[in-house]
Amino acid sequence: MLATVLYEQDDHRWIMFGRDANKPDGIIDTNQYLIQSGNQAILLDPGGIELFAPMLSAVLKYVPAEQITHLFASHQDPDIISSLGLWDQALPKAELYSPWLWESFIRHFGMESIRFRAIPDEGMTIQVGHTQLQFIPAHYLHSSGNFHVWDAKAGILMSGDVGAAMEPTDAPLWVDNMERHAPKMKKFHQRWMPSNDAKLDWIRRVRQLNVKVMAPQHGRLFKQPQVGEFLDWFETLPVGIAIK
Amino acid sequence: MSAPVFITAASISAELHQAMMEARGLALTAKNARALAVRAGSRTVGFRAITDFIEELASAIIQQSQAINNDAEHLSNQAVSAWRSDMANERFHWVRAQNSTHADSISGRILACEQRSGSLNQELQHGLRRLIDQLEESRKHIRTANLIATSSHVEASSAGDFRGQLEVIADNIRETAERIGGHLNRANALLSQNHRERKAAC
Repeated sequence: MLATVLYEQDDHRWIMFGRDANKPDGIIDTNQYLIQSGNQAILLDPGGIELFAPMLSAVLKYVPAEQITHLFASHQDPDIISSLGLWDQALPKAELYSPWLWESFIRHFGMESIRFRAIPDEGMTIQVGHTQLQFIPAHYLHSSGNFHVWDAKAGILMSGDVGAAMEPTDAPLWVDNMERHAPKMKKFHQRWMPSNDAKLDWIRRVRQLNVKVMAPQHGRLFKQPQVGEFLDWFETLPVGIAIK
Repeated sequence: MSAPVFITAASISAELHQAMMEARGLALTAKNARALAVRAGSRTVGFRAITDFIEELASAIIQQSQAINNDAEHLSNQAVSAWRSDMANERFHWVRAQNSTHADSISGRILACEQRSGSLNQELQHGLRRLIDQLEESRKHIRTANLIATSSHVEASSAGDFRGQLEVIADNIRETAERIGGHLNRANALLSQNHRERKAAC
């Protein structure tokens, strides 16, 4: 599994894991993120059960297991958190932050030791090591209870399914040309995102942040100026197209 | 290769549920037999006494089936926990073999997982043994049911006009006992195979 350091400043690091060439056929490729700060770390959308072993192995290259104190699941999908039953045995003292809406659903993946911390609809801020992280509402993008993670110090927004594109595992890591990249995202956003109102509300709030890197859960990541170009493109894209 | 224990235990639970339903039918048969014996009067005194045994037997089979059913369900749940623990352990070992910088930091979890797997697997082994004993106990009920069916036939033969109806009831008891016996045999076969293979694997 490919691991890329996105940001490093003192003991504050963002690492992206993904592009696993050995993943079983037929399962969607996903990006997982680790934020480390001091002697604590949080795993964002740790992934599906099939990826658990390579993911844990990749993570342990950067941080010992006991320092992974937090997990975050942006929503309830299996590619996000179906590995929970195994993380539960690997990190019994960790806390899982996830939308309150999905608690009783996510527990179906198996959770005996990890503690569930419900994120309220309006979002919340937590402290991981010396770093403050903000869980930003992204409801209906695509899941009805959905959050993104904003790290103001690093300027990185983990944007879940927003900005996602389905590409081969050998695709480049960064979007370098929005015009060429947009067609790869179009159908995904139009079909998976149900609400234009939710989309516009999210864009309005994200424009107020100083996003240097936008990091989706599938496909390439965005730097400036592509972040701004993405927001402009997304703003004009009609979504929820399955309703004719 | 045997089916995982949680599937075997769930299958046993399903067989015992069927046996329980059959036993409920047997209890109904006993009630019909009693009503018929009352109508037949003094010629069926012996048959009337037998109906008490049938009711008691049906009730014993229902209780025993429920108990085995509950035990099998509990065992199935435990087997799922053991399987999960084994699955986690297998992956932890793979991760440790990759020699990541902090791979040793999961050693404690490997130990905890192995202890949990060991204790769960031991409990499973005991649970399977207990199920075998319970099924053997249930088979004694079937042997009793067959004896009752034979006695019912003998009593029916002296019941005059009611002979035909009482013979139907006697046949019903025998057929129901056979069906319950079939469920128990299938449960036992599943269990014995799994138990043998688990012991061989140890």
